[in-house]
Amino acid sequence: MIPAEAAISRVRRDLTLSTVLKGLIIGIGIATFLMRGAMGWSHLLVLAMLGVAWIVLSYRSAMGSRLAVDSQSLIAAGRYEAAEEQIEQVLGTFSLFRTSKLIGIHQLAVLRHAQKRWGDAAVLCRALLGRRLGPVKGVSKQCRLMLADAMLELDDPRAAHEALNGLYQQRLTLAEAINLVAVQADFHARAENWAELAAGIETKVQLAELMPSQQSARTQALLALAAKKTGRHDWATWLTRRAELLADVQELSTRRPILWELWRVEPGASPPSTSSSAERRGDVSSENL
Amino acid sequence: MDSAPPIPQPPQFLDVPHLLDASQPRVRAGWFWYAAGFFLLIVMISTYLSAGSPLMAGAMQLFSGLVMLGLVAAMGMLTFAMARAQQAEGQRLVAVEELMQLRRWGEAAAMLNDMLSTPMRAPQHRVQALIYLASVLGRYHRFADAIAVQEHLLENVILDPSTEHGLKLGRVMSMLREDHLVDADRAMSELRRGDAERQSAGLALLDIYRDVKTGHPDEAIDIFEQRLPALREQVGHRLGDAYYLAAKSYDLLGREAEAQRAYERATLLSPLIELQRRYPEAASLSEKYSPVLAPAA
Repeated sequence: MIPAEAAISRVRRDLTLSTVLKGLIIGIGIATFLMRGAMGWSHLLVLAMLGVAWIVLSYRSAMGSRLAVDSQSLIAAGRYEAAEEQIEQVLGTFSLFRTSKLIGIHQLAVLRHAQKRWGDAAVLCRALLGRRLGPVKGVSKQCRLMLADAMLELDDPRAAHEALNGLYQQRLTLAEAINLVAVQADFHARAENWAELAAGIETKVQLAELMPSQQSARTQALLALAAKKTGRHDWATWLTRRAELLADVQELSTRRPILWELWRVEPGASPPSTSSSAERRGDVSSENL
Repeated sequence: MDSAPPIPQPPQFLDVPHLLDASQPRVRAGWFWYAAGFFLLIVMISTYLSAGSPLMAGAMQLFSGLVMLGLVAAMGMLTFAMARAQQAEGQRLVAVEELMQLRRWGEAAAMLNDMLSTPMRAPQHRVQALIYLASVLGRYHRFADAIAVQEHLLENVILDPSTEHGLKLGRVMSMLREDHLVDADRAMSELRRGDAERQSAGLALLDIYRDVKTGHPDEAIDIFEQRLPALREQVGHRLGDAYYLAAKSYDLLGREAEAQRAYERATLLSPLIELQRRYPEAASLSEKYSPVLAPAA
């Protein structure tokens, strides 16, 4: 497993090296052109060699970027070991351009986030956001979302809030908007901003419907709680029933204990025992809402 | 009497054979050899001219240096323009995906028709666009066309295993909707052979649908009950589809209380109109059972 700090320092070193090398190639090229009188026809040979070196290194860089991008599908398919190997290859190969290294670090952050290694994911996202991203600046939004999510998991809502702040002025894709709704719901629930969480509930529910089961269930359960707290009992009942169908109530509430309130039999009572089937969970809900 | 020349007809909207053909990326011209030839020509001319006088030799050196720099700059600009065009193509695909997720099918269809009517820049973008096209065609109940696109991809493109699995599931669904039950059954057996590891909820959903369609509600309910955990985990809100088909199965068996409960759960997760569109065989349920309505905004 690639340690986050080691990956960051390696990329930092490679980026410096590639900047020096690029400067060297361009410098030699200009010097050769200026000294063409003294060099005679050999200046053409030097320029041609520099051109070939540039093309070969560019090709290697492009291959590296391609590998880094491909690791995304491996992560999505849950093939974490294969993705790790691929990312290691990207980070270990020299690249003339920043893009492949930055995408490599980003993919490593995505991998660590998927593996629920929140600390590593946060370190990598911070390192990436601290750099000038240039042509890959698009990844900064996903990075902020992952950082916010990781910080919430690490129980640091203030850092999560700071990460989210940078997103509000940006135009988000649908996938990013969906993730933002999930992270925001979590953040507002921790801060007990119920009114803010319940605002625009219909749109938030539509976006939650597009999430994977677990994330959707958690977001809709948090929205149900916000609806309950703000007196919108029809929404609270409807959303709670949906969350029950999509995920295990016990698991949901263990991860977010605040959600026990949705399934509590009476104030102060202990959480319900693990229900064995969807039927049982449905009954618990119907009795209490 | 002179016969008028046939008036060329504009291609039909989402004309599959036309789109499959027109979207093929252009074969790259062999620019390398043209460039090498041009370069050689420049070198020969400059050698010839510079041999004439020392003044000409100096001018030619300057000229050849400038040509070299010009070539590098032109290559850089060309690469940049190509990368930008490819990026724009990728962004349009993201837009299509978003439109589909938001169920704005008309706009997604128009955009796909537009994109696939001309050669696409990147082969992987073409594959993605065709996968989306198959979904859009399914939405418009053009299942034969959807199957044609899916088969084209499965026969001509090397896909990663999960994409291939998804595509095969889509093809079986189209076959079931077209009542190609024998083909569907064969394709499902093939999928099942490779499914031991995957425990695909999508395949379970197809199994349930096939059993509902062929009048085997007992088997449909068995599969539904066995695979409910996988369905919950993997298909998100499409779990509503499984409940809807289970409701139909219970109804066929006269187990009305269970049918009502499954129908409520289905309509809790998905809008009734979507479920009826996806599974017209179960549309009659709405005459008998009460859905769960979403709260007023």
